[in-house]
Amino acid sequence: MKLKALVAAGLVGASSLALATAAAAQDKTIRIVGFGASSGVVGIFGQNSTAAMSAAFEKINAEGGVTLADGSQARIVTEYYDDRCNAEEGISVLRRIASTDALVAIGPTCSNVAEPLFGIMQARVDDESDTGLQFPVFTDVAIKGGLAGISDWVFRNTPSEAAMYDELFGWLRETHPDATTIFGGVEEDFAHSRASWYDVMKTAADKHGFELVGEAQWLLSDTNFSNQVRGMRRAEPDIVAISAHPFTTCGVLREMARQRVEPEVLVGLTSSSSLETLSGCATEAEGLTIPTSFAPVNDEARAAAEAVVAEGGQMDLHSASAWENAMILKDVIEQVGVEGTAESLEEDRRKIRDGLAAMESAPGLLGTNQRMPDGEAVKPYVFVHARDGGWEVLHNPGS
Amino acid sequence: MDFYLGLAQIFGVHTLLGLSAYVVLLTGQVSMAQAGFYAIGAYTAGAMTAMFGLHILPAIVIAGLVSAAIACIVGFPALRVKGLMLVVATLAFGEMVRLFFFNLTWQVERNGDRVGPNGAEGFRSIRYFPENGWEVWHVTVFIWFVVVVVMGALWWMDRTRAGAVLRAVGHDETAAQSIGLNLTAVKVGAMTAGGFIAGLGGGIYAHTVTHIEHGVFGVLLATFAIAYPILGGLGSVFGTLIAVLFIQGFLIEGLRFMGEWRSLLFGALIVLAMNLRPHGLLGEHAPRLKNLFGAGPARPSDPLSTKEAK
Amino acid sequence: MDYFLIIDFVQSLLDGLLFGTTYALIGIGFTLIFGVMRKLNLAYGAAALAGTYIGVAATFAFDAPPPVVFLLSALGSGAIGIVVYYCCFRFTPTHYPMASLLASVGMLLFIDEVVIHASHGMPLPYPSVFREATIELGDIWVRGDLLFVFFICVVAMAVLFWLLYRTPLGLATRAVSQQPRAAALCGIDPTRVNLLTFGLAGILGGIAGAMTAAAVGVLSPIIAMGLTVKGLIAVVIGGLGSIPGAIIGGLLVGAAENVFLMLRGVTERDIYVMLLLFLFLTLRPGGLFGSTAGRD
Repeated sequence: MKLKALVAAGLVGASSLALATAAAAQDKTIRIVGFGASSGVVGIFGQNSTAAMSAAFEKINAEGGVTLADGSQARIVTEYYDDRCNAEEGISVLRRIASTDALVAIGPTCSNVAEPLFGIMQARVDDESDTGLQFPVFTDVAIKGGLAGISDWVFRNTPSEAAMYDELFGWLRETHPDATTIFGGVEEDFAHSRASWYDVMKTAADKHGFELVGEAQWLLSDTNFSNQVRGMRRAEPDIVAISAHPFTTCGVLREMARQRVEPEVLVGLTSSSSLETLSGCATEAEGLTIPTSFAPVNDEARAAAEAVVAEGGQMDLHSASAWENAMILKDVIEQVGVEGTAESLEEDRRKIRDGLAAMESAPGLLGTNQRMPDGEAVKPYVFVHARDGGWEVLHNPGS
Repeated sequence: MDFYLGLAQIFGVHTLLGLSAYVVLLTGQVSMAQAGFYAIGAYTAGAMTAMFGLHILPAIVIAGLVSAAIACIVGFPALRVKGLMLVVATLAFGEMVRLFFFNLTWQVERNGDRVGPNGAEGFRSIRYFPENGWEVWHVTVFIWFVVVVVMGALWWMDRTRAGAVLRAVGHDETAAQSIGLNLTAVKVGAMTAGGFIAGLGGGIYAHTVTHIEHGVFGVLLATFAIAYPILGGLGSVFGTLIAVLFIQGFLIEGLRFMGEWRSLLFGALIVLAMNLRPHGLLGEHAPRLKNLFGAGPARPSDPLSTKEAK
Repeated sequence: MDYFLIIDFVQSLLDGLLFGTTYALIGIGFTLIFGVMRKLNLAYGAAALAGTYIGVAATFAFDAPPPVVFLLSALGSGAIGIVVYYCCFRFTPTHYPMASLLASVGMLLFIDEVVIHASHGMPLPYPSVFREATIELGDIWVRGDLLFVFFICVVAMAVLFWLLYRTPLGLATRAVSQQPRAAALCGIDPTRVNLLTFGLAGILGGIAGAMTAAAVGVLSPIIAMGLTVKGLIAVVIGGLGSIPGAIIGGLLVGAAENVFLMLRGVTERDIYVMLLLFLFLTLRPGGLFGSTAGRD
């Protein structure tokens, strides 16, 4: 029944989007385009981003749109391109977007598309010898650490996992003084989960004095985890960190329940703090603690989440970024004085890039996002844990 | 404009991938190893330019030669088996190659950065084209130059004795053997040629996307490699080209406006195409082929005669 | 330390063998279809998965108990198998196997995408039985649910044998697989036999899919590719057209996979499995039970 509602909501969202695009044709418009995977196994990310973006733009347009350099108001029109999480398609989609009058793109969803995509862009701005694509991209979902440094034209509004897990393990140190050992489980063949364990969680745990007593690896499509969990059982860790996406996270949690591995604390990957984990294994996930850059903790966040649900999507840490990106871009466009004419297209894109690069902070749903010089962001976050089939805020380091 | 030129690059690279499977398919072998050769080419050429600073042209030729050598070595044992067994044996080889690169970490210091394959995180910044001032259209012309050379060579080969030999083996091995053809030599030769072409294609691919990782070169890519020539028809090299245009141009790029529904249509239209044009979009209407087909003593895949022929 | 190594080895082997039964079921499906049609159905794993999703849909629709879910999964997969036959095999030329091969690839992509579209790619919980039951033999733990999976798979195989060797339908199937033309001359309708085979293979695939999902407890579209590849490997190890071969092949793949996982770690696990397979194929091209070497 839940699925049916989702599908119906998606249809309504898609048709209202089409109507909005058609109605906007006669006014002065600014085009901001989204792209990412909206079909295939990870299609849910793109579908949520689509919903979040169109909800955000609808809100902006309802409040009068964006102010251009000449003082006139323009509506924002948008559309979403599906790249099926494929590198070649992602590149082709971005070239297509760059060939239209779009000013800036929001995307992609997959880190394995983002990495090649950023590679075909001009690495250093104003470097005449570099013939890479010159088009501003403001990434919402692809989260693997350090990607924005590849090109000056790329900005990301994804949470900094390094900061989040550092804080999380520090907090665990304080609240669980008797916990001393940690065991890591990694989904080894997915760039994001792999980087998150080896470069982020492991370092953070070590820094806060947790002793690593073992590691176990598995693959994205594995179905049998008995060997890995047996290692876990023998190591008797106080903390188990699972750096994996919802499907294998659920598989491992079930195996842990079966082998009666009951660590004091269970830590999960940022991407698993979504509805998928709960829809797959709510019972086993109980108590799973994850840092996330979105939770409906204040009025603004709650209102945004409702608007996205009305568009047929779900608000999680990924789609919250899509929403924030839309809002930040509106501010940037107004600040840098975009003219929004066909002749000024190149110039406007460059202005937006410079505007994003010059930002030191940006408003976010949970508070102020710090903008880093390399194009990355450090966003406020909260720690949530799974409780009674929902995500509940466990601790808010900002408050 | 750059969008269409970029699209043409994708067509070119995929045509090379399809042609590599086409050569092998002519001898009647369904090889799922082409994605593996493509991966070898991609990593080799990427290493040549990004790690050792070579020019792109020698880099892709070396990539082709390395792939060809490995294809030749693998060809001997693999081609002892046929039909479904060969499909699985080559699939196993392709997966082995992919997993090899999954485990491969080999980085060198260049301009203060660590460059090279880094296990599951892939091989990043293979940025030969943008770094050396190649505009998009330069790259497109370069790719199509390679594609035209390869297609021309295969087209010419098809009209010579070599093409007839390949097709003879493909249509009836027993008959081919009885007129004195060395089956092993023909098959391994086709495999080597296919490996070379796949290596070229992979080498170029790595440079058009700038970042490669093992996940790209999986079973799905191997399936696409054989899908192009089969969907287009084995009559001539143009079948493969038409199929690439159909899949990459129409199904993937042309239907993009359909959003999420595009992926649904993708598979359904392939099923439809194979039901309407089972011998491929262009069919098998190369004249040489028909003569052979009529002259052969038995239709090769007819279950009854296969049993007798064994 | 050594004691743990032995325990681990035995445990890995045991888990692998129990899991291997699902591979064996998929393998049997491939071998059945290949037996009667001499063709490869690459959409098979996806069809099995889609059937499993039909079972899950039942839990959403009316809170079906696990046995009903399993049954619906199997029947659904059988029905999809028949659809696959009509879409990919019925109207493509019999003497040109590549056409049906590619059509089944198209079908694989289509079915996968339908499943993803309907489920939004979300992992869904799948009911399992005896989930908490574990038999402890000293340090060796035998999972109750895997034993159940093993038991169901064995029953499915037994029923299949009964169908093939004790019923007129089975006789017809075997006749078509041995000599299609002679069978047709004897008045056996090949289309009917083909339909039956696809349905039967589909049901076996559905059971395998349901049991895999029950063992993991979660269902996600990403398991289709794994099932297809493992099933294919099981078939060729066992020998084409041989049902006992597919069973032994499946168990071997399951065991080898788990033992290599224990010895070499997950990143190298599949390299060794593939290497073994490659060597095995080239040294013994007919498989364990194949009658002839390298038949088309």
